[in-house]
Amino acid sequence: MALSAEAARAHLEAGKPGPLSVDGRLDLTNTRLKSLPQGIACYELDASSSALESLPSDLQVESRLILDNCQHLRSLPAGLEAGAISLRNCNSLHALPEGLETWFLDLSESKRFTQWPRQANVHSGRVRLRNCIDLQSLPSWFGTLATLDLAGCVGLTSVPDGIRVTGWIDIGGTNITSLPPSLGDAQLHWRSVPITHRIAFEPQSITAKEAISEQNAEIRRVMIERMGYLRFAQEAGAKVLDADTDPGGERRLLHIELEQDEPLVGLACACPSTGHRYFLRVPPSTKSCHQAAAWLAGFDDPALYHPVIET
Amino acid sequence: MEKRELQFMDGKSSKFWRIELDGACHTVTYGRIGTEGTSQTKEFSSPAEAKKSHDKLLSQKLAKGYVDTAGGGAAGGGAAAGAGDEVPFIAFPCTTGSNGTGSHASNFMGLRVSRFSAGKKPGDPKKTAYFFGSDYENDTFTEDLEAFLESDVAAEARALVLGPWAEELYDVSSAEAVKLLVANAKKLPKLAGLFVGDIVQEENEISWIHQSDLSPLFAAFPKLQLLRARGGQDLALSKAKHAGLRALALETGGMNASVVRSILSGDFPALEYLELWLGTEEYGGTCTVEDLQPLFKGKKFPKLRYLGLRNCDFVDDIATVVVNSPLLQRIETLDLSLGTLSDVGGRALLKLPKESSLKKLDLSHHFMSKQLMKELKGLKLAVDVSEAESPDDEWRFVAVGE
Repeated sequence: MALSAEAARAHLEAGKPGPLSVDGRLDLTNTRLKSLPQGIACYELDASSSALESLPSDLQVESRLILDNCQHLRSLPAGLEAGAISLRNCNSLHALPEGLETWFLDLSESKRFTQWPRQANVHSGRVRLRNCIDLQSLPSWFGTLATLDLAGCVGLTSVPDGIRVTGWIDIGGTNITSLPPSLGDAQLHWRSVPITHRIAFEPQSITAKEAISEQNAEIRRVMIERMGYLRFAQEAGAKVLDADTDPGGERRLLHIELEQDEPLVGLACACPSTGHRYFLRVPPSTKSCHQAAAWLAGFDDPALYHPVIET
Repeated sequence: MEKRELQFMDGKSSKFWRIELDGACHTVTYGRIGTEGTSQTKEFSSPAEAKKSHDKLLSQKLAKGYVDTAGGGAAGGGAAAGAGDEVPFIAFPCTTGSNGTGSHASNFMGLRVSRFSAGKKPGDPKKTAYFFGSDYENDTFTEDLEAFLESDVAAEARALVLGPWAEELYDVSSAEAVKLLVANAKKLPKLAGLFVGDIVQEENEISWIHQSDLSPLFAAFPKLQLLRARGGQDLALSKAKHAGLRALALETGGMNASVVRSILSGDFPALEYLELWLGTEEYGGTCTVEDLQPLFKGKKFPKLRYLGLRNCDFVDDIATVVVNSPLLQRIETLDLSLGTLSDVGGRALLKLPKESSLKKLDLSHHFMSKQLMKELKGLKLAVDVSEAESPDDEWRFVAVGE
């Protein structure tokens, strides 16, 4: 039976069975339904922020299937097919189903997603996996994609050979140290900032002089982040605004002027237990080490900050 | 003797250009389609020199967007385009260049646009697209259109251009005008082309024009081949279905995703030309590249030859996806002009398939670097990278905003 989008929602929420078809966009956002009946066909389905735990095995969606913020969604049916599938911030979802077929896949912020199907087909469009922090690997079956966004996937260390992008790949904040031959000439982004392969993969070759002379403030920030603030501060001949000692030893408040950007001010200190040295960025108006440490501990007024011991 | 004849049409002109090479001479004839035109013969020192000049002139014209005359020899004193039942494909484009919405179309569907005024002698319906419009002094739109529908030329009219439908446009939509045409559809048996909203910037900004549901026109005019509309507010195509429609062009400063959904889930088996101005979020645009997937998948519109996704602020996203589309194995023109294309999208276009049906790539009004423009011109198809904006601009803008 063909229903209008409004009638279809009412029909489903009344617990009535399928089959039913909707010409345009079936809107089930915020619905309390935990499941849907068999026999639903529509052009587009939006069930964002709903209580859905699963989808029927014969669901037919031609264009977009949107399931963002479905906190109870645990599984998807095998062979699920849609033009674009969006599963942002679905925190109960660990795995994608076998035989998945789509052009656009978005799992951004779905922090517990880890498991790819053995075989599926995602091609031609965009794959977004922003901040999928549990993800340890990528599948080998991605074909040619438009773009692949891996920013914030801290568990990723490599990309399988065979993946191609016509647009770009974003590896900002990942632990990926090289790209496979199939991505040898890909445009590279670092948290949306276009960068060169050298900035990404040979950060030790970046000099402070080079970073300072970079005209584009966004690229300059990435260069400094890649070379490490501490090395940058040392090489750039930072001005010492203040120095004192804490349980880790000497700590110094460093200041570096940057063109067309606010000055870089940070506290260089060592961890008392591991001895690792850190550079912790603080607001540019900070004047003393104590004030910096107070701000880092969450105190805007340094007079209120009297730690028993700094760890 | 060697002869080649080309044509060019848009909202401003409708012209032909012919070159005949004969030994050490060539003769160029040019003019408005439907006229004899002007001829110039040049003599060279050798046939080789003449050939060289001939080739150069020809490639210049092709680069400007001229195309070979369909069927050969139709223009230059021959029949005016659009005189037959079938509208020539070349007559579908209208609003070209980034200031295309700055003045009224003087050509539409290959016909000269001429205002219809009640009480004045109307133009020849074989050569005229009739314009109706109100302005601050004369609120005559409805009066003129009603008089036209009662006149003798209505039965022969091929194309109508609806300009400002009220003196004060801010809160008047196209609904009444559409209703009037639909109610009188029987009086317009030959109507093949319709432009709803030839409203220029100084009359009303594109994003302020109130449109309406235009799909009743599809049911009322089964012989319609071309529908063009300007303005995105309240634009809808609730029953998107027409067996014979060959060209659909919707110009907006921001297109609602529901319109794209209607078109792509609709039924237009004869569509050859699809031009969508997707605009920006700022002016009501809600589309993203995901909404276009059913189009890129390549199963819709089996006769499509031209695809225009224009005036779009996510054209970089489109470029990266469209290069992977099977559509490129059957369309001739991809038009991504008037948008915010940068090196990100431009680099993706360098990866267009080596074997494709594509002959023309229109990227005019863009934010790409000189280096990339050069690389794109090296592609084996006609690439238009005119109207370059500065690639270093902090923010990039579409050509027709507001």
